[in-house]
Amino acid sequence: MSIEPLAPPKKPKRLPVLPQRGKLSMFEIALFVACLVLIAVELSQNLRDVMVLTFLFAGLGLAWNIAGGYAGLISFGHAAFFGIGAYTSTILFVSAGLTPWIGLWCGGVLAAAAGALLALICARLRGPFFILSTLAAAEVVRIGALNWSSLTGGPEGLSILPVANVANMVFVSKTAYAVLMLAYVVFVYAITKALEGSRYGYYLFAVRDDEEAASAAGVNPLLVRTAAMGLSAFLTGIGGSLFAQYFLYLDPTFVISPELSFQFALLPAVGGLGTAIGPVLGSFLITPLSELLRSYLGNAAAGLHLVIYSAGLIVVMLYFPGGLAAALNRLGRGWKRKP
Amino acid sequence: MTTLGQLVISGILIGGIYALMSIGLTLIFGVLRIVNFAHGEFLMLAMYGAWAVTTLLGFNPYVAVLAIVPAMFLFGGIVYRIIISPGLDKPHLVVVFATMGLSIFLQNVALMMMTADLWDVPPIFSHAVIVGALRFKAELLLGFLITILCTVGLQWVIRATYLGKAIRATVQDGEAAMLMGIPVPRIFLITFAGGSALVGLAACVMMPLFSVFPTVGLNFVLIAFVVVVLGGMGSIEGALIGGICIGVVQSLSSYYVAPAFGQMFFFILFLLVMIFRPNGILGQKGAATIGIND
Amino acid sequence: MTAILEVRNLSRAFGSLMAVNDVSFNVEQGELLGLIGPNGAGKSTLYNLVAGLLRPTRGEIVFDGQNVTGWKSHRIAQVGIARTFQIPKPYRQLSVVENVMLTAFQQERTVSGAMALAEATLADVGLSEYLTAPVGTLTVGLLKRLEVARALAMRPKLVLFDEIMAGLTPAEIGVMTNFVALLPARGITVIWVEHVLYAIMKTATRIMVLNRGELIANGPPAAIARDPAVVKAYLGEEMTIA
Repeated sequence: MSIEPLAPPKKPKRLPVLPQRGKLSMFEIALFVACLVLIAVELSQNLRDVMVLTFLFAGLGLAWNIAGGYAGLISFGHAAFFGIGAYTSTILFVSAGLTPWIGLWCGGVLAAAAGALLALICARLRGPFFILSTLAAAEVVRIGALNWSSLTGGPEGLSILPVANVANMVFVSKTAYAVLMLAYVVFVYAITKALEGSRYGYYLFAVRDDEEAASAAGVNPLLVRTAAMGLSAFLTGIGGSLFAQYFLYLDPTFVISPELSFQFALLPAVGGLGTAIGPVLGSFLITPLSELLRSYLGNAAAGLHLVIYSAGLIVVMLYFPGGLAAALNRLGRGWKRKP
Repeated sequence: MTTLGQLVISGILIGGIYALMSIGLTLIFGVLRIVNFAHGEFLMLAMYGAWAVTTLLGFNPYVAVLAIVPAMFLFGGIVYRIIISPGLDKPHLVVVFATMGLSIFLQNVALMMMTADLWDVPPIFSHAVIVGALRFKAELLLGFLITILCTVGLQWVIRATYLGKAIRATVQDGEAAMLMGIPVPRIFLITFAGGSALVGLAACVMMPLFSVFPTVGLNFVLIAFVVVVLGGMGSIEGALIGGICIGVVQSLSSYYVAPAFGQMFFFILFLLVMIFRPNGILGQKGAATIGIND
Repeated sequence: MTAILEVRNLSRAFGSLMAVNDVSFNVEQGELLGLIGPNGAGKSTLYNLVAGLLRPTRGEIVFDGQNVTGWKSHRIAQVGIARTFQIPKPYRQLSVVENVMLTAFQQERTVSGAMALAEATLADVGLSEYLTAPVGTLTVGLLKRLEVARALAMRPKLVLFDEIMAGLTPAEIGVMTNFVALLPARGITVIWVEHVLYAIMKTATRIMVLNRGELIANGPPAAIARDPAVVKAYLGEEMTIA
């Protein structure tokens, strides 16, 4: 049955194009190729180390972004999931001889369970209350890990014997680790993109922007929050296992520290919340910058790299709320408009 | 019995100190509806200030209040102008991350200037206060008295003065207050600066009891968050009750269980309060479940 | 005709205040039911009860033969009740078409299908030119249209409109009234809360009047306009204002 449409209002002047959610852009493909080239070229051990960390943190930022950027669940407790992943695969490997290739999935699943549980516990909390509760929950996990010495080795930590072997996921060459971490980034990136291009991605956006409207559209907000937190924690837990395999040493004070949680959150915040490319850009900018500043400035100026980094963060947050991704987007459009 | 009494009263006294360092946080939250994640670093900064006045100039830390409180008021005002005010009309994430950045910034400036060493000031009183079989550090007792005076004074300011009325009007309905001619941005500025000044006061009281180092803020800010949430965010008398609860829980559990678990207890307590009484013991209804500053 | 919605003895208390007090009514399939009443009469509470945002203190809601009392809002939406919000609640960081897609997912599970349905619905309400506009740039009138499009994109059996005329120009009110009047012919039953009384008097098949949480009148528009209880409720309100 045909119906007379409402009279169209005055035409808008100029409208943005619809974001191509879930599709890869030329820029993303070029960035990936550049990463492969960087892996292939000869680099010093020091730079290789920076590269491994940059990839690892890009993956972790992406994982955090699924909860924080897409679903609006700002968590300052993700280090707990990271720690759960790292400890699970390491304990299974050290005491039961299970290869980390399998252990990392176990760690991911445990972390996902913890993430879903946290989302349920904090079901009614919003804004700063949610943030503070995630922070407190991670502290409970950290203190627990510190005191449950029979399982975690307590403050002395836990070491993985450095027997280089593919089955052990221990390598001599840092290039191998770089490949491993890049594979992790690609894995998390692919999940993010798939999510973004499906209706589930829209469910996350809806719950983030307006929960009442989302539920009036038939979306179950609690289910969405729980699933988003679970997925984000799962991917963070896997990152934790990879970290353990690279450092071959774990202690609760570092792997479950609030500082680490802040780090996970800051990379997407600087790069662009709720965009797939954001956390990657954030990590590519910040991780090498802070690592290089740290190694060049050394002890002469302990903390200077973080001073520069945090000042940058404040400026980005206040004056470029869309982060690097939005700035890049504007730049890209500027180029296209030129004849 | 004596042990229990000693533990409970020590817990209450230390809880008073926790309350004092949390009042600024809760005041700022109550009026501006933001959480200052750099609150702990404000405390750290003020503690360095109190240490410098005491050690370098040779004054008593309680005299340092005269310098530190105005200095922190000024510092708070500057931070408000540069960081908080531009972020207020943006999504609440912006203020969260901007104050987070400020926290890292201040920590590392302190690390560069003061190194990671621990600094402290010599004890002020050579004798403990003895009541029957109970003994207390005089600094703790004095700190508790200052907290009580401060709470009562602040309540008076809010109830009886013009400034207090303006603050209450702003809390109830910022837009209406603005229409009534209350300069809301100025109230925000004064509240933020005032909250920072209270942190300065807390720092001077705490300096004789604790060492200062660049990350000292993180230890205390977590306690402050727990105190504030427990008491209901935005409630001043709530902060006092919350502080005392935390102090007693910590004191008892460190003695009867283990010091490390003492800390864990209050985070669990915090989560339990969040789950079952998200508005705190005395808190305002619905504050935790409606998105703040969205 | 069969009743699509049956509300029986519905009550909701806030403390000692009865916001909705023992309200019973039926809505027939294909009706355009106007719901009016002075401010604070309980219209929004009644909507929130039917849409599942509030749980009733007492009473039952039966929709399409199914008892949906106490169901959560998303399940209510899934069985076919759509609503608009009095104060528009768009997803701020999404474009216009994406806002509508979210409800369209009820009908079309794929992104492309939902987008096609959303575009068609937006064409209905005259927002075709605004598909990619960020919602922050829309005027109040356009946001109201967006609300309507969002509700209709899920192809509901019953839609609850909440003051979709507020803030519109007289010309816009005219087209919107005609638009709403044609919805029952498309198989959508409408309940409509509105303060623009002439619009509702012109189009509704039946009008219910709520005052202080109670149903005080229920009948065809012409009878309602003459009902002394209704006149008193409205004039009483004006006198307290003056």
